[in-house]
Amino acid sequence: MTFDPTILAPYLGDLAAGARLTALACALALAGALALGIAVALMRTAASAPARRAADIYVDVFRNVPFIVQLFFLFYGLPEIGLELDAFSTGVLALSLAGGAYTSDAIRAGILAIEPGVLEAAQVSGLPRRVIYRRIVLPIALRTSVRPLGAVFVNLILTSSILSAITLNELTGTAKIVAADTFQPFEVYAALLLAYVTLTYIVSLSAGALHRRLNRDRAMGSG
Amino acid sequence: MRYTDFTPNDILLLLQGLGVSAALFAATTAIGLLIGLSWAVLRYYRVPLLAPLFAAVAELLKNSPVLVQLFLVFFGLPVLLETDVTPVQAAVITLSGNTAAFIYIIAVSAIESVGREQLETARVFGLTRWQTLRRVVAPQAAAFGLGPLTGLLVNQLQVTSLISVVGVLDLTRMGAILNLRTLKPFIVWTVVGLLYYLMAKLIAKTCARLETRLRAHTAWKGL
Amino acid sequence: MIHIEGVGKSFGATTVLDAIDLRIAPGEVVSILGASGSGKSTLIRCINGLEKLDRGTITVDGFNVADPAQLQQARRCSGTVFQLFNLYPHMTALQNITLAPIEVLKVPRREAEEQARELLASVGLSDRAGAFPAQLSGGQRQRVGICRALAMKPRYLLLDEVTSALDPEMTGEVLDILAKLATGGTTMLFVTHEIEFARTISNRIVFLDQGRLLADLPTAQFFDAGGGLAHPRITQFLTRMSKS
Repeated sequence: MTFDPTILAPYLGDLAAGARLTALACALALAGALALGIAVALMRTAASAPARRAADIYVDVFRNVPFIVQLFFLFYGLPEIGLELDAFSTGVLALSLAGGAYTSDAIRAGILAIEPGVLEAAQVSGLPRRVIYRRIVLPIALRTSVRPLGAVFVNLILTSSILSAITLNELTGTAKIVAADTFQPFEVYAALLLAYVTLTYIVSLSAGALHRRLNRDRAMGSG
Repeated sequence: MRYTDFTPNDILLLLQGLGVSAALFAATTAIGLLIGLSWAVLRYYRVPLLAPLFAAVAELLKNSPVLVQLFLVFFGLPVLLETDVTPVQAAVITLSGNTAAFIYIIAVSAIESVGREQLETARVFGLTRWQTLRRVVAPQAAAFGLGPLTGLLVNQLQVTSLISVVGVLDLTRMGAILNLRTLKPFIVWTVVGLLYYLMAKLIAKTCARLETRLRAHTAWKGL
Repeated sequence: MIHIEGVGKSFGATTVLDAIDLRIAPGEVVSILGASGSGKSTLIRCINGLEKLDRGTITVDGFNVADPAQLQQARRCSGTVFQLFNLYPHMTALQNITLAPIEVLKVPRREAEEQARELLASVGLSDRAGAFPAQLSGGQRQRVGICRALAMKPRYLLLDEVTSALDPEMTGEVLDILAKLATGGTTMLFVTHEIEFARTISNRIVFLDQGRLLADLPTAQFFDAGGGLAHPRITQFLTRMSKS
């Protein structure tokens, strides 16, 4: 039983490139998932029943179908309707759609946690609905949702490894090539595992720090 | 009839894949429950050294991609242990371990939600640790943990789709085969997605039924 | 003028307001008294449109609160101060006060902030303009709430048990400010438990009992044996309140 991590040395450049691709894809997907999540969360808390229903169906579908199936659906299906996207774009799209379901959960919880009295005060001062959402509902909801949103981001990063299945050379995809090259899959994949753990740990810590910073002085106890 | 058209035989293929997915899900859930709960019980008994070790392993498995864990077992173990590992074996090992880690986390959290005063009261009445666990802690912890458990099980069902990447002939793999042959991705992947969706709903419903049964069992029935 | 005509409101099987007729003219200071559950707060919440009427109409300066198209304009005529303050937790005191003037009245930011600082100064909070609600005491939060309502230059100020959540010391500081406003000519509609305060500053007292309007009298008459005190329910209420 031998374990020799130094064999990775000549491949660090490639692996770094793979890591960068992962980071880029996840960052873009997070932006997409947040935008989608806000829209869906607003729909799920809207007064209109059809809006709520549509949003609930979207979340239900994307939470109960495996990501790889969603990915293959887009990767193989979109060209059929004339949308020729490369692997990277398809991957980001798939991650955004799936991520949006989970971010909408977090943001919806944040919206529902707003004290009703605060909304009433906004309403009676004559503020139009759009302004109330933009200046009151979303800022408060997003501030309280930072930690759960951090968890979604962690999830996105872990899920992004599946993009290797559509031949994208992000971190996992690159590692596969390195493993084949070196004939040392155990070292490669063990290192890969630790790389992801480190990455997610950093994200979690950052989310916690961001939450504290945004809510400094602003968090109220009751009364 | 062209070779690339759908045939009635394809339904059989899909069902076969469905059977493999379901069987692996059931088996790995059972093993995962066994291992995860055992870890949690060992922690309850405050066995030294093991508790932090389990916690560390659980964190590792929770914060890394399942796909990478799968590659580590399927590609890495054979080289490390100089033995063969079939796709199914790799799938069972990886998914059981992954499930066990999450079960452990849920179980520990559920046990801790049972108020400390209950443990103290039991001790005062002379119950052994085992009796306390069995009669006082476990029923309540089960009630607490069933909610998170449902979410976990639905998630682990989705995770089984990844075993297709290492060659297991599960539902996703069948979908890939059919997709390649018929070149009709929209139909194939929608049907596959629907089948997973229905399985997920079945699991959720079963757990909900179990939860009402459990709560009825522990509910106050009057004097 | 606030016209309240034949107003009725029920929550499920419970009738909270029953055939209320009331008029508030500009310049008046009116206190609404009554036991808990008598419908006082609900009435205020009907005036500013937070609750929908089941029967009757309310118009504020001619705008009908039941008509969605007119509700915004009706709301602009009044300002509300809440029992639980309801300040925007993510904004400073200054931002709380300037938000509506900037967004609704389109007042330029600089001017809005200047006016806000004047308001804060008038309630003794000049040094707390940059503080967040979490950093303020209950009394300070309520004073900011009053400034926030005043910033919109409302014709009518609606005050819903604004001191009920404060301890005696803070209650005093808020009541002082309200007394100043009352003598300054602001039209005010109070829902309050502070009988002595109501007696001192109001020119009219309205008494609600189980959703019905039992009395609507000038203050002196209300507290007179021949006037308000002739009602057994009112005497009962006042005796109970003075005991606590």
